[in-house]
Amino acid sequence: MELFETPLPGVGVRYEFTSAAGDRVGVIVRRDARRELLLYDEADPDACRDNVSLTGEEAATMVELLGGTKITERIADLRHEVEGLSIEWVTLESGRGLAGRTIGDGRIRTETGSSVVAVIRGEQSIPGPGPDFRLEAGDVALVVGSIEGVQKALRLLTT
Amino acid sequence: MTVLAAPGVLAVSSVSNILIELGAVLLVLAICGRFAARVGLPSIPLYLLAGLLLGEGSPVALEASSEFIRIGADLGVVLLLLLLGLEYTPEELSHGIRTNWLAGLVDFVASFTPGFLGGLLLGWDPVACVLLGGITYITSSGIVAKLLSDLDRLGNRETSTVLSLLVMEDIVMAVFLPVAAVLIVGASVVEASLSVLLALVVVAVALFVSLRHGARVSRVLDSTSPELLLLTVLGTTFLAAGLADKAKVSAAVGAFLIGVMLSGQIAERGRVLLSPIRDVFGGLFFIFFGLQIDPSDLPPVAVPAIALAIVTSASKVGTGWWAAKRAGVGPKGRRRAAAALIPRGEFSIVIAGIGTAAGLERDLGPVAACYVLLLAVGGSLAVRYTQ
Repeated sequence: MELFETPLPGVGVRYEFTSAAGDRVGVIVRRDARRELLLYDEADPDACRDNVSLTGEEAATMVELLGGTKITERIADLRHEVEGLSIEWVTLESGRGLAGRTIGDGRIRTETGSSVVAVIRGEQSIPGPGPDFRLEAGDVALVVGSIEGVQKALRLLTT
Repeated sequence: MTVLAAPGVLAVSSVSNILIELGAVLLVLAICGRFAARVGLPSIPLYLLAGLLLGEGSPVALEASSEFIRIGADLGVVLLLLLLGLEYTPEELSHGIRTNWLAGLVDFVASFTPGFLGGLLLGWDPVACVLLGGITYITSSGIVAKLLSDLDRLGNRETSTVLSLLVMEDIVMAVFLPVAAVLIVGASVVEASLSVLLALVVVAVALFVSLRHGARVSRVLDSTSPELLLLTVLGTTFLAAGLADKAKVSAAVGAFLIGVMLSGQIAERGRVLLSPIRDVFGGLFFIFFGLQIDPSDLPPVAVPAIALAIVTSASKVGTGWWAAKRAGVGPKGRRRAAAALIPRGEFSIVIAGIGTAAGLERDLGPVAACYVLLLAVGGSLAVRYTQ
Protein backbone atom coordinates (compact mmCIF):
# COMPACT_ATOMS: atom_id res chain seq x y z
CA MET A 1 0.00 0.00 0.00
CA GLU A 2 1.63 3.19 -1.15
CA LEU A 3 1.11 6.11 1.17
CA PHE A 4 1.62 9.59 -0.29
CA GLU A 5 2.59 12.41 2.00
CA THR A 6 2.07 16.07 1.08
CA PRO A 7 2.89 18.90 3.46
CA LEU A 8 0.19 21.57 3.74
CA PRO A 9 2.07 24.62 5.02
CA GLY A 10 0.19 26.35 7.77
CA VAL A 11 -2.22 23.42 8.19
CA GLY A 12 -0.43 20.12 8.70
CA VAL A 13 0.26 17.07 6.55
CA ARG A 14 -1.98 15.20 4.11
CA TYR A 15 -1.65 11.45 3.60
CA GLU A 16 -3.44 9.58 0.87
CA PHE A 17 -3.57 6.11 -0.62
CA THR A 18 -5.69 4.03 -2.96
CA SER A 19 -7.47 1.10 -1.35
CA ALA A 20 -7.53 -2.34 -2.91
CA ALA A 21 -11.17 -1.71 -3.79
CA GLY A 22 -10.12 1.33 -5.82
CA ASP A 23 -11.25 4.11 -3.48
CA ARG A 24 -8.91 6.99 -2.99
CA VAL A 25 -8.74 7.82 0.73
CA GLY A 26 -6.84 10.47 2.62
CA VAL A 27 -6.25 11.87 6.09
CA ILE A 28 -5.18 15.39 6.98
CA VAL A 29 -3.17 15.38 10.19
CA ARG A 30 -3.73 18.93 11.42
CA ARG A 31 -1.32 20.52 13.81
CA ASP A 32 -4.02 21.18 16.40
CA ALA A 33 -4.74 17.44 16.89
CA ARG A 34 -7.82 17.53 14.67
CA ARG A 35 -8.01 15.07 11.82
CA GLU A 36 -9.87 15.16 8.53
CA LEU A 37 -10.93 12.05 6.76
CA LEU A 38 -11.03 12.52 2.99
CA LEU A 39 -12.86 10.52 0.36
CA TYR A 40 -11.82 11.56 -3.09
CA ASP A 41 -14.23 11.91 -5.96
CA GLU A 42 -13.99 9.51 -8.89
CA ALA A 43 -15.31 12.06 -11.34
CA ASP A 44 -12.91 14.78 -10.19
CA PRO A 45 -9.87 13.00 -8.71
CA ASP A 46 -8.45 16.19 -7.22
CA ALA A 47 -11.53 17.06 -5.22
CA CYS A 48 -13.08 15.34 -2.25
CA ARG A 49 -16.50 13.82 -2.58
CA ASP A 50 -16.77 14.02 1.16
CA ASN A 51 -14.71 14.88 4.17
CA VAL A 52 -15.25 14.21 7.83
CA SER A 53 -13.77 16.53 10.44
CA LEU A 54 -12.74 14.75 13.62
CA THR A 55 -11.54 16.05 16.95
CA GLY A 56 -8.49 14.34 18.47
CA GLU A 57 -10.73 12.23 20.68
CA GLU A 58 -13.02 11.21 17.84
CA ALA A 59 -10.00 10.23 15.77
CA ALA A 60 -8.73 8.03 18.61
CA THR A 61 -12.13 6.33 18.79
CA MET A 62 -12.05 5.74 15.04
CA VAL A 63 -8.64 4.13 15.41
CA GLU A 64 -9.99 1.70 18.00
CA LEU A 65 -13.04 0.91 15.90
CA LEU A 66 -10.96 0.35 12.80
CA GLY A 67 -8.96 -2.39 14.44
CA GLY A 68 -6.75 -1.22 17.25
CA THR A 69 -3.16 -0.15 17.36
CA LYS A 70 -0.17 -1.94 15.96
CA ILE A 71 0.84 -2.94 19.47
CA THR A 72 -2.31 -4.99 19.94
CA GLU A 73 -1.70 -6.61 16.56
CA ARG A 74 1.80 -7.54 17.49
CA ILE A 75 0.64 -9.02 20.76
CA ALA A 76 -1.92 -11.08 18.88
CA ASP A 77 0.88 -12.34 16.62
CA LEU A 78 2.95 -13.19 19.67
CA ARG A 79 0.14 -15.31 21.02
CA HIS A 80 0.31 -17.43 17.89
CA GLU A 81 4.03 -17.99 18.32
CA VAL A 82 3.95 -19.43 21.84
CA GLU A 83 1.35 -22.06 22.47
CA GLY A 84 -0.53 -21.59 25.71
CA LEU A 85 0.77 -18.06 26.19
CA SER A 86 -1.80 -15.55 27.34
CA ILE A 87 -1.41 -11.79 27.27
CA GLU A 88 -4.17 -9.67 28.75
CA TRP A 89 -4.87 -6.01 29.61
CA VAL A 90 -6.88 -5.20 32.69
CA THR A 91 -7.99 -1.87 34.16
CA LEU A 92 -7.84 -1.53 37.92
CA GLU A 93 -10.92 -0.16 39.59
CA SER A 94 -11.00 2.02 42.65
CA GLY A 95 -11.27 0.22 45.98
CA ARG A 96 -11.15 -3.26 44.43
CA GLY A 97 -8.44 -5.82 43.96
CA LEU A 98 -4.93 -4.41 44.11
CA ALA A 99 -5.82 -0.76 43.54
CA GLY A 100 -3.78 1.19 46.09
CA ARG A 101 -1.49 -1.74 46.86
CA THR A 102 1.84 -2.84 45.47
CA ILE A 103 2.37 -5.66 42.97
CA GLY A 104 4.37 -7.47 45.63
CA ASP A 105 1.38 -7.33 48.02
CA GLY A 106 -0.64 -9.27 45.49
CA ARG A 107 2.05 -11.99 45.29
CA ILE A 108 1.06 -12.45 41.65
CA ARG A 109 4.24 -14.16 40.59
CA THR A 110 4.22 -16.63 43.47
CA GLU A 111 0.52 -17.40 43.39
CA THR A 112 -0.18 -17.50 39.69
CA GLY A 113 3.13 -17.80 37.83
CA SER A 114 2.26 -14.87 35.58
CA SER A 115 3.79 -11.40 35.61
CA VAL A 116 2.66 -7.82 35.33
CA VAL A 117 5.06 -6.71 32.59
CA ALA A 118 3.83 -3.15 32.06
CA VAL A 119 1.48 -0.57 33.52
CA ILE A 120 -0.14 2.28 31.62
CA ARG A 121 -1.06 5.25 33.77
CA GLY A 122 -2.78 8.00 31.79
CA GLU A 123 -0.31 9.12 29.13
CA GLN A 124 2.62 7.35 30.72
CA SER A 125 3.79 3.78 30.04
CA ILE A 126 5.82 2.07 32.74
CA PRO A 127 7.54 -1.09 31.48
CA GLY A 128 8.71 -3.78 33.92
CA PRO A 129 7.25 -2.49 37.19
CA GLY A 130 8.92 -4.03 40.23
CA PRO A 131 7.20 -5.65 43.25
CA ASP A 132 7.29 -2.31 45.09
CA PHE A 133 5.28 -0.58 42.38
CA ARG A 134 2.04 0.76 43.83
CA LEU A 135 -0.97 0.27 41.56
CA GLU A 136 -3.67 2.92 41.40
CA ALA A 137 -7.26 2.95 40.28
CA GLY A 138 -7.41 3.63 36.54
CA ASP A 139 -4.08 1.94 35.82
CA VAL A 140 -4.07 -0.51 32.94
CA ALA A 141 -1.92 -3.54 33.71
CA LEU A 142 -0.49 -5.88 31.06
CA VAL A 143 -0.31 -9.41 32.38
CA VAL A 144 1.61 -12.24 30.69
CA GLY A 145 1.65 -15.90 31.61
CA SER A 146 -0.07 -19.22 31.09
CA ILE A 147 -3.76 -19.12 30.33
CA GLU A 148 -4.86 -20.21 33.81
CA GLY A 149 -2.17 -18.13 35.47
CA VAL A 150 -3.31 -14.96 33.74
CA GLN A 151 -6.94 -15.66 34.62
CA LYS A 152 -5.97 -16.02 38.30
CA ALA A 153 -3.87 -12.87 38.14
CA LEU A 154 -6.73 -10.91 36.62
CA ARG A 155 -8.97 -12.03 39.49
CA LEU A 156 -6.31 -10.96 41.99
CA LEU A 157 -5.97 -7.59 40.38
CA THR A 158 -9.62 -6.74 40.12
CA THR A 159 -11.48 -8.39 42.99
CA MET B 1 -22.31 63.80 17.75
CA THR B 2 -21.10 66.65 19.90
CA VAL B 3 -19.61 64.20 22.36
CA LEU B 4 -17.43 62.72 19.67
CA ALA B 5 -16.41 65.94 17.93
CA ALA B 6 -15.58 68.62 20.46
CA PRO B 7 -12.76 70.62 18.93
CA GLY B 8 -11.24 73.31 21.05
CA VAL B 9 -13.35 72.60 24.11
CA LEU B 10 -10.89 70.21 25.72
CA ALA B 11 -7.17 70.62 25.28
CA VAL B 12 -6.51 67.14 26.64
CA SER B 13 -8.88 64.37 25.65
CA SER B 14 -10.65 63.01 28.68
CA VAL B 15 -10.70 59.32 29.34
CA SER B 16 -14.42 59.24 28.85
CA ASN B 17 -14.16 60.56 25.30
CA ILE B 18 -11.42 58.08 24.45
CA LEU B 19 -13.48 55.23 25.86
CA ILE B 20 -16.64 56.28 24.09
CA GLU B 21 -14.94 56.64 20.72
CA LEU B 22 -12.99 53.40 21.06
CA GLY B 23 -16.08 51.55 22.19
CA ALA B 24 -17.99 52.86 19.21
CA VAL B 25 -15.20 51.91 16.79
CA LEU B 26 -14.93 48.39 18.15
CA LEU B 27 -18.67 47.92 18.06
CA VAL B 28 -18.71 49.09 14.46
CA LEU B 29 -16.04 46.46 13.72
CA ALA B 30 -18.16 43.86 15.48
CA ILE B 31 -21.25 44.72 13.46
CA CYS B 32 -19.21 44.58 10.25
CA GLY B 33 -17.81 41.23 11.28
CA ARG B 34 -21.23 39.78 12.02
CA PHE B 35 -22.62 40.98 8.74
CA ALA B 36 -19.64 39.55 6.90
CA ALA B 37 -20.05 36.18 8.58
CA ARG B 38 -23.76 36.15 7.81
CA VAL B 39 -23.19 36.92 4.15
CA GLY B 40 -20.17 34.62 3.87
CA LEU B 41 -17.67 37.32 2.98
CA PRO B 42 -14.34 38.15 4.60
CA SER B 43 -14.47 40.92 7.18
CA ILE B 44 -11.48 42.95 5.93
CA PRO B 45 -13.32 44.83 3.16
CA LEU B 46 -16.09 45.75 5.59
CA TYR B 47 -13.58 47.06 8.12
CA LEU B 48 -12.07 49.16 5.34
CA LEU B 49 -15.47 50.48 4.35
CA ALA B 50 -16.21 51.39 7.95
CA GLY B 51 -12.93 53.28 8.12
CA LEU B 52 -13.70 55.05 4.87
CA LEU B 53 -17.10 56.12 6.10
CA LEU B 54 -15.80 57.26 9.48
CA GLY B 55 -12.74 59.01 8.13
CA GLU B 56 -12.07 62.39 6.66
CA GLY B 57 -15.09 64.11 5.29
CA SER B 58 -17.49 62.20 7.49
CA PRO B 59 -19.93 63.77 9.93
CA VAL B 60 -18.36 61.93 12.85
CA ALA B 61 -14.82 62.85 13.87
CA LEU B 62 -12.69 60.61 16.05
CA GLU B 63 -10.62 63.10 18.00
CA ALA B 64 -9.83 61.69 21.40
CA SER B 65 -8.99 58.16 20.34
CA SER B 66 -7.02 58.92 17.19
CA GLU B 67 -3.66 58.56 18.93
CA PHE B 68 -4.58 55.21 20.40
CA ILE B 69 -5.95 53.98 17.10
CA ARG B 70 -2.75 55.00 15.36
CA ILE B 71 -0.60 53.08 17.84
CA GLY B 72 -3.11 50.24 17.79
CA ALA B 73 -2.76 50.09 14.03
CA ASP B 74 1.04 49.75 14.32
CA LEU B 75 0.63 46.97 16.86
CA GLY B 76 -1.95 45.39 14.57
CA VAL B 77 0.56 45.08 11.74
CA VAL B 78 3.15 43.56 14.06
CA LEU B 79 0.63 41.06 15.39
CA LEU B 80 -0.66 40.19 11.89
CA LEU B 81 2.86 39.33 10.81
CA LEU B 82 3.68 37.50 14.06
CA LEU B 83 0.66 35.24 13.68
CA LEU B 84 1.52 34.67 10.03
CA GLY B 85 5.01 33.58 11.06
CA LEU B 86 3.59 31.31 13.76
CA GLU B 87 1.60 29.52 11.06
CA TYR B 88 4.74 28.20 9.49
CA THR B 89 7.64 26.17 10.79
CA PRO B 90 11.18 26.93 9.59
CA GLU B 91 11.18 23.53 7.88
CA GLU B 92 8.04 24.34 5.90
CA LEU B 93 9.58 27.59 4.73
CA SER B 94 12.90 26.14 3.66
CA HIS B 95 11.12 23.21 1.99
CA GLY B 96 8.85 25.71 0.26
CA ILE B 97 11.74 27.76 -1.07
CA ARG B 98 13.56 24.72 -2.38
CA THR B 99 10.63 23.12 -4.19
CA ASN B 100 8.59 26.12 -5.32
CA TRP B 101 11.01 28.87 -6.15
CA LEU B 102 10.16 28.76 -9.86
CA ALA B 103 6.42 29.04 -9.28
CA GLY B 104 7.09 31.83 -6.79
CA LEU B 105 9.17 33.68 -9.35
CA VAL B 106 6.50 33.35 -12.04
CA ASP B 107 3.87 34.50 -9.55
CA PHE B 108 5.95 37.56 -8.68
CA VAL B 109 6.73 38.58 -12.24
CA ALA B 110 3.15 38.02 -13.43
CA SER B 111 1.43 40.01 -10.72
CA PHE B 112 4.01 42.59 -9.63
CA THR B 113 4.65 43.94 -13.12
CA PRO B 114 1.09 45.12 -13.89
CA GLY B 115 1.02 47.11 -10.65
CA PHE B 116 4.42 48.62 -11.28
CA LEU B 117 3.59 49.55 -14.87
CA GLY B 118 0.19 50.82 -13.81
CA GLY B 119 1.81 53.19 -11.36
CA LEU B 120 4.18 54.46 -14.07
CA LEU B 121 1.23 54.98 -16.41
CA LEU B 122 -0.50 57.03 -13.72
CA GLY B 123 2.58 59.18 -13.52
CA TRP B 124 3.60 58.13 -10.06
CA ASP B 125 7.00 58.33 -8.42
CA PRO B 126 8.95 55.07 -9.11
CA VAL B 127 9.00 54.16 -5.41
CA ALA B 128 5.22 54.44 -5.26
CA CYS B 129 5.08 52.21 -8.34
CA VAL B 130 7.15 49.59 -6.56
CA LEU B 131 4.70 49.67 -3.68
CA LEU B 132 1.76 49.39 -6.05
CA GLY B 133 3.46 46.38 -7.62
CA GLY B 134 3.69 44.80 -4.20
CA ILE B 135 0.04 45.58 -3.54
CA THR B 136 -1.10 43.85 -6.72
CA TYR B 137 1.29 40.94 -6.25
CA ILE B 138 0.43 39.58 -2.83
CA THR B 139 -2.58 37.32 -2.40
CA SER B 140 -4.30 37.39 0.96
CA SER B 141 -3.23 34.25 2.85
CA GLY B 142 -5.71 35.04 5.59
CA ILE B 143 -8.75 35.20 3.34
CA VAL B 144 -7.74 32.24 1.18
CA ALA B 145 -6.82 29.94 4.06
CA LYS B 146 -10.14 30.64 5.77
CA LEU B 147 -12.09 30.13 2.53
CA LEU B 148 -10.39 26.82 1.76
CA SER B 149 -11.08 25.64 5.29
CA ASP B 150 -14.72 26.78 5.25
CA LEU B 151 -15.33 25.21 1.84
CA ASP B 152 -13.75 21.92 2.97
CA ARG B 153 -11.17 22.10 0.21
CA LEU B 154 -8.11 21.47 2.37
CA GLY B 155 -8.01 17.89 1.15
CA ASN B 156 -8.08 18.83 -2.51
CA ARG B 157 -4.93 18.19 -4.51
CA GLU B 158 -4.73 21.70 -5.85
CA THR B 159 -4.80 23.15 -2.33
CA SER B 160 -1.23 22.13 -1.60
CA THR B 161 -0.16 24.02 -4.73
CA VAL B 162 -2.07 27.10 -3.61
CA LEU B 163 -0.67 26.94 -0.07
CA SER B 164 2.88 26.51 -1.39
CA LEU B 165 2.48 29.61 -3.54
CA LEU B 166 1.20 31.52 -0.51
CA VAL B 167 4.28 30.43 1.44
CA MET B 168 6.55 31.69 -1.33
CA GLU B 169 4.71 34.99 -1.38
CA ASP B 170 5.16 35.42 2.36
CA ILE B 171 8.88 34.75 2.00
CA VAL B 172 9.14 37.28 -0.83
CA MET B 173 7.32 39.80 1.37
CA ALA B 174 9.92 39.28 4.08
CA VAL B 175 12.48 40.65 1.62
CA PHE B 176 10.19 43.12 -0.15
CA LEU B 177 9.21 45.08 2.96
CA PRO B 178 12.75 46.02 4.02
CA VAL B 179 13.57 46.87 0.41
CA ALA B 180 10.51 49.10 0.21
CA ALA B 181 11.44 50.76 3.51
CA VAL B 182 14.89 51.54 2.17
CA LEU B 183 13.56 52.89 -1.12
CA ILE B 184 11.11 55.13 0.71
CA VAL B 185 13.88 56.67 2.76
CA GLY B 186 15.35 57.71 -0.57
CA ALA B 187 18.90 56.53 -0.16
CA SER B 188 21.41 56.67 -3.00
CA VAL B 189 21.67 53.68 -5.32
CA VAL B 190 24.72 52.34 -3.48
CA GLU B 191 23.13 52.76 -0.08
CA ALA B 192 19.90 51.21 -1.32
CA SER B 193 21.69 48.19 -2.78
CA LEU B 194 23.64 47.69 0.44
CA SER B 195 20.46 47.88 2.48
CA VAL B 196 18.75 45.38 0.18
CA LEU B 197 21.71 43.07 0.61
CA LEU B 198 21.61 43.54 4.37
CA ALA B 199 17.89 42.73 4.39
CA LEU B 200 18.44 39.55 2.39
CA VAL B 201 21.28 38.50 4.66
CA VAL B 202 19.27 39.16 7.82
CA VAL B 203 16.30 37.15 6.57
CA ALA B 204 18.51 34.28 5.40
CA VAL B 205 20.43 34.22 8.68
CA ALA B 206 17.23 34.36 10.70
CA LEU B 207 15.80 31.41 8.77
CA PHE B 208 19.03 29.47 9.18
CA VAL B 209 19.18 30.15 12.93
CA SER B 210 15.52 29.18 13.23
CA LEU B 211 16.20 25.87 11.52
CA ARG B 212 19.11 25.08 13.77
CA HIS B 213 18.12 26.53 17.12
CA GLY B 214 14.46 27.36 16.79
CA ALA B 215 13.34 24.28 18.68
CA ARG B 216 15.62 25.06 21.60
CA VAL B 217 14.57 28.70 21.78
CA SER B 218 10.94 27.63 21.60
CA ARG B 219 11.39 25.26 24.51
CA VAL B 220 13.10 27.93 26.58
CA LEU B 221 10.40 30.51 25.96
CA ASP B 222 7.50 28.12 26.38
CA SER B 223 5.32 28.21 29.46
CA THR B 224 2.13 26.45 30.48
CA SER B 225 0.88 29.63 32.11
CA PRO B 226 -1.03 31.69 29.50
CA GLU B 227 -0.07 34.89 31.28
CA LEU B 228 3.65 34.16 31.11
CA LEU B 229 3.42 32.94 27.55
CA LEU B 230 1.64 36.07 26.39
CA LEU B 231 4.07 38.36 28.17
CA THR B 232 7.08 36.47 26.84
CA VAL B 233 5.96 36.20 23.23
CA LEU B 234 4.59 39.73 22.98
CA GLY B 235 7.64 41.16 24.71
CA THR B 236 10.04 39.29 22.46
CA THR B 237 8.08 40.17 19.33
CA PHE B 238 7.72 43.88 20.03
CA LEU B 239 11.37 44.12 21.01
CA ALA B 240 12.49 42.29 17.88
CA ALA B 241 10.14 44.34 15.70
CA GLY B 242 11.44 47.59 17.15
CA LEU B 243 15.07 46.57 16.70
CA ALA B 244 14.35 45.38 13.18
CA ASP B 245 12.79 48.72 12.40
CA LYS B 246 15.87 50.52 13.70
CA ALA B 247 18.04 48.31 11.50
CA LYS B 248 15.86 49.27 8.52
CA VAL B 249 14.64 45.72 8.17
CA SER B 250 11.02 46.74 8.88
CA ALA B 251 9.17 45.97 12.11
CA ALA B 252 6.71 43.72 10.30
CA VAL B 253 9.48 41.47 9.04
CA GLY B 254 11.03 41.29 12.51
CA ALA B 255 7.72 40.09 13.91
CA PHE B 256 7.33 37.59 11.05
CA LEU B 257 10.78 36.11 11.67
CA ILE B 258 10.08 35.73 15.40
CA GLY B 259 6.87 33.91 14.53
CA VAL B 260 8.72 31.61 12.16
CA MET B 261 11.39 30.84 14.75
CA LEU B 262 8.86 29.77 17.38
CA SER B 263 7.58 26.29 16.74
CA GLY B 264 6.08 23.36 18.56
CA GLN B 265 4.08 23.84 21.73
CA ILE B 266 4.74 27.54 22.10
CA ALA B 267 3.55 28.14 18.54
CA GLU B 268 0.35 26.16 19.12
CA ARG B 269 -0.43 27.86 22.40
CA GLY B 270 0.70 31.22 21.11
CA ARG B 271 -1.62 31.00 18.14
CA VAL B 272 -4.61 30.22 20.35
CA LEU B 273 -3.86 33.01 22.82
CA LEU B 274 -2.73 35.68 20.38
CA SER B 275 -5.30 35.30 17.59
CA PRO B 276 -7.99 37.23 19.47
CA ILE B 277 -5.53 40.03 20.33
CA ARG B 278 -4.41 40.14 16.71
CA ASP B 279 -8.03 40.34 15.59
CA VAL B 280 -8.73 43.37 17.77
CA PHE B 281 -5.60 45.29 16.81
CA GLY B 282 -5.80 44.07 13.23
CA GLY B 283 -9.30 45.48 13.05
CA LEU B 284 -7.96 48.80 14.33
CA PHE B 285 -5.30 48.69 11.63
CA PHE B 286 -7.82 48.30 8.81
CA ILE B 287 -10.10 50.96 10.20
CA PHE B 288 -7.13 53.28 10.69
CA PHE B 289 -6.13 52.85 7.07
CA GLY B 290 -9.66 53.62 5.95
CA LEU B 291 -9.84 56.61 8.29
CA GLN B 292 -6.96 58.25 6.48
CA ILE B 293 -8.71 58.17 3.14
CA ASP B 294 -11.24 60.73 2.06
CA PRO B 295 -14.09 58.86 0.36
CA SER B 296 -14.37 61.60 -2.24
CA ASP B 297 -10.86 60.59 -3.43
CA LEU B 298 -12.18 57.20 -4.52
CA PRO B 299 -14.27 57.87 -7.65
CA PRO B 300 -11.37 59.50 -9.61
CA VAL B 301 -9.21 56.42 -9.08
CA ALA B 302 -11.98 53.89 -9.62
CA VAL B 303 -11.13 53.27 -13.28
CA PRO B 304 -7.40 52.57 -12.77
CA ALA B 305 -8.24 50.42 -9.74
CA ILE B 306 -10.79 48.38 -11.70
CA ALA B 307 -8.36 48.00 -14.60
CA LEU B 308 -5.62 46.81 -12.25
CA ALA B 309 -8.05 44.45 -10.57
CA ILE B 310 -9.01 42.84 -13.88
CA VAL B 311 -5.45 42.55 -15.19
CA THR B 312 -3.99 41.18 -11.98
CA SER B 313 -6.89 38.77 -11.51
CA ALA B 314 -6.06 37.40 -14.94
CA SER B 315 -2.38 37.15 -14.01
CA LYS B 316 -3.22 35.23 -10.85
CA VAL B 317 -5.61 32.95 -12.71
CA GLY B 318 -2.85 32.22 -15.22
CA THR B 319 -0.29 31.58 -12.49
CA GLY B 320 -2.62 29.30 -10.55
CA TRP B 321 -3.59 27.35 -13.64
CA TRP B 322 0.01 26.84 -14.69
CA ALA B 323 1.24 25.92 -11.20
CA ALA B 324 -1.59 23.41 -10.71
CA LYS B 325 -1.00 21.89 -14.15
CA ARG B 326 2.67 21.53 -13.31
CA ALA B 327 1.69 19.67 -10.15
CA GLY B 328 -0.40 17.24 -12.18
CA VAL B 329 -3.81 18.49 -11.16
CA GLY B 330 -6.81 17.99 -13.49
CA PRO B 331 -8.76 20.76 -15.25
CA LYS B 332 -11.36 21.31 -12.52
CA GLY B 333 -8.65 21.48 -9.89
CA ARG B 334 -6.69 23.94 -12.00
CA ARG B 335 -9.73 26.22 -12.16
CA ARG B 336 -10.11 26.09 -8.39
CA ALA B 337 -6.42 26.82 -7.87
CA ALA B 338 -6.61 29.73 -10.30
CA ALA B 339 -9.55 31.31 -8.49
CA ALA B 340 -7.98 30.76 -5.07
CA LEU B 341 -5.16 33.21 -5.82
CA ILE B 342 -7.41 36.16 -6.68
CA PRO B 343 -8.37 37.53 -3.24
CA ARG B 344 -6.26 40.43 -1.98
CA GLY B 345 -6.43 41.69 1.55
CA GLU B 346 -4.42 42.33 4.63
CA PHE B 347 -0.93 42.34 3.18
CA SER B 348 -1.81 44.74 0.37
CA ILE B 349 -3.16 47.14 2.97
CA VAL B 350 0.01 46.74 5.04
CA ILE B 351 2.10 47.78 2.03
CA ALA B 352 -0.26 50.63 1.21
CA GLY B 353 -0.11 51.72 4.85
CA ILE B 354 3.67 51.98 4.64
CA GLY B 355 3.35 54.17 1.57
CA THR B 356 0.65 56.37 3.09
CA ALA B 357 2.62 56.84 6.29
CA ALA B 358 5.60 58.01 4.24
CA GLY B 359 3.39 60.44 2.36
CA LEU B 360 4.55 59.16 -1.01
CA GLU B 361 1.67 59.55 -3.38
CA ARG B 362 -1.74 61.03 -2.75
CA ASP B 363 -3.62 58.44 -4.74
CA LEU B 364 -1.83 55.39 -3.33
CA GLY B 365 -4.25 55.00 -0.42
CA PRO B 366 -7.44 55.42 -2.47
CA VAL B 367 -6.23 53.12 -5.26
CA ALA B 368 -5.23 50.47 -2.75
CA ALA B 369 -8.53 50.76 -0.87
CA CYS B 370 -10.56 50.47 -4.08
CA TYR B 371 -8.42 47.60 -5.33
CA VAL B 372 -8.60 45.59 -2.12
CA LEU B 373 -12.34 46.20 -1.74
CA LEU B 374 -12.91 44.88 -5.26
CA LEU B 375 -10.70 41.83 -5.01
CA ALA B 376 -11.37 40.86 -1.41
CA VAL B 377 -15.05 40.59 -2.23
CA GLY B 378 -14.73 39.58 -5.89
CA GLY B 379 -11.98 37.08 -5.18
CA SER B 380 -13.92 35.45 -2.35
CA LEU B 381 -16.97 35.08 -4.56
CA ALA B 382 -14.79 33.64 -7.33
CA VAL B 383 -13.37 31.01 -4.98
CA ARG B 384 -16.76 30.17 -3.59
CA TYR B 385 -18.44 29.69 -6.93
CA THR B 386 -15.66 27.87 -8.76
CA GLN B 387 -16.50 24.24 -8.20
